[in-house]
Amino acid sequence: MTTMRQSVFWNKVNRVLLYLVIAILFTVVVFPFYWMIVTSLQPQDVVMNVPPELWPRHATFQNYIDAWKFAPWLRYFSNTLFVAVASTLISLATSSLAAFAFACIDFKGKEALFNLVLSVMMIPAATTLIPNFLIIRTLGWYDTFYALIIPFAASVFGIFLLRQYFMSMPKELWEAAQIDGASRLRYFRSIALPLAKPAIVTIAINSFLGSWTSFLWPTVVTQSQNKQLIEVALNTFLGDNSQQWAQLAAASVFTTIPIVILFFFVQRQFIEGIGGGGIKG
Amino acid sequence: MDSKLTPAQRKKVIRDNVAGWLFTFPSTLVLFVFTFLPAFIVVGLSLFDTNLVGKMDFVGLGNFRELLASGDFWGSVLRTLYFAAGSVPVAVAVSLLIAVLLNAKVRGRTFWRMGFFIPYITPLVATSIIWLYIFNPSFGMLNAALHFVGLPPSRWLSDTVSAMPAMILYSTWHDIGFAVIIFMAALSKVPTELLEAAQIDGASGWRTFWHVTWPMISPSTYFVVIIYTISAFKMYTQVAVLTQGGPVDSTTTTGYYLYQQAFGQMRFGYASAVSIGLFVIIFLLTMLQRKVTGRKVFYG
Repeated sequence: MTTMRQSVFWNKVNRVLLYLVIAILFTVVVFPFYWMIVTSLQPQDVVMNVPPELWPRHATFQNYIDAWKFAPWLRYFSNTLFVAVASTLISLATSSLAAFAFACIDFKGKEALFNLVLSVMMIPAATTLIPNFLIIRTLGWYDTFYALIIPFAASVFGIFLLRQYFMSMPKELWEAAQIDGASRLRYFRSIALPLAKPAIVTIAINSFLGSWTSFLWPTVVTQSQNKQLIEVALNTFLGDNSQQWAQLAAASVFTTIPIVILFFFVQRQFIEGIGGGGIKG
Repeated sequence: MDSKLTPAQRKKVIRDNVAGWLFTFPSTLVLFVFTFLPAFIVVGLSLFDTNLVGKMDFVGLGNFRELLASGDFWGSVLRTLYFAAGSVPVAVAVSLLIAVLLNAKVRGRTFWRMGFFIPYITPLVATSIIWLYIFNPSFGMLNAALHFVGLPPSRWLSDTVSAMPAMILYSTWHDIGFAVIIFMAALSKVPTELLEAAQIDGASGWRTFWHVTWPMISPSTYFVVIIYTISAFKMYTQVAVLTQGGPVDSTTTTGYYLYQQAFGQMRFGYASAVSIGLFVIIFLLTMLQRKVTGRKVFYG
């Protein structure tokens, strides 16, 4: 009797410890975000205080106003949104078409072509940075949106993932559609694509996030302010205001918020995409 | 073979071929122009001394000779390995701990998991900025915390000795979520019967973990180790924002060195040779990953 009561007691202690450790780790990981928001609300003289003030007693939105006025952020946001949406839509279109052909259509050289496409994954972007810069300049695309969109208009990851989806669809579906006289494109549009929706969402999120957070490539191929993407602009803002911590925090907050909001809506698909669907939320 | 086909079948074969090539054409074209072609161009460029705007002198293998003898290049490789050695074990240990805790049937798992994952999706530039403030030697949060527990302050990113550890701290924080997700997926695939059997045999939680769970998830562990090492070699953005490779090159990793030589020094031929060196390193690591994780490690 006593041993059982003891084990119930220790079980409870274990549960409490478990939550305690999780909460501590969680606090450490999330703290920089809390700190980003608190700093963005402090008056500039307060952020230089030693020790730092953990709570904004004189909260102000002035930093947001000042940071926003400093640069044409609206222009950067629309540039980034345009580039992210365009590369996502184009790469979805090209990869789903290719994936469909690789999965459902018999054509000469299919295996060889697919292996060639897969081998692209062995070439890291860091290796092709310089030649791609040269290619963009040769095409006359330096400092244009083409340079930010077209190199990302195909996705090996997308082709691979969608091909898996299309291959797992029952063959009878395709055969029945052919008997009904449906064309390949119609079958692709009205049956195959809707069935692959989870994969499409995963690919779209990846592509959108990739564009939004891109930094090195836009630094290399753009120059003028009206082609600038948000992260490059934020780094420039840092260079111009290197000790204005409150304004820097405010700019970091408003450039990051769209991504965080997007993530809240799609976190399940995104996380399952990484974990391979093995974990249930 | 074709003679056995009816005209209708032959028509279908032709149409299949046309459709197949047409549908794969857009992707193939983009991949050809922006990945295949560059792979050849980079080899060509590596044989020249060029700034891409006029100077174009053939130097044969000169760039590679310089590369192999360059203290700066090997220094950057060593620093990258230092970065990997400092960040990867910590990332594996902490993310595995988090994954094990979250897999223990906790309430609000989705909420916790989201918190651990969120740094990974937030942009490197924005989060580096707040860490610059946290690392600030005079009024940063980290030195305040050290002071609070009675430890001496550090100059963090402004000191050649502490800059790399600070870079490791930031990057581990930013990327931990990815490993947490991989480990949570791996842990959920460990058969519960196996864990129950171990418990019935009287094994403690610790022993069950070391002798059942750890070997079972080893493919994921290798995967995380190698993916994180590869990304150390590709790392650029946080170095550009936090330190620009300094102070005195102490955080110039290979990815940053490549960028510096190309777009800073305008030595595009030499930087192409660095690109190829980087490719060889990443290629070997990828092969290692395929070999190691392709093998069912836990049977061995």
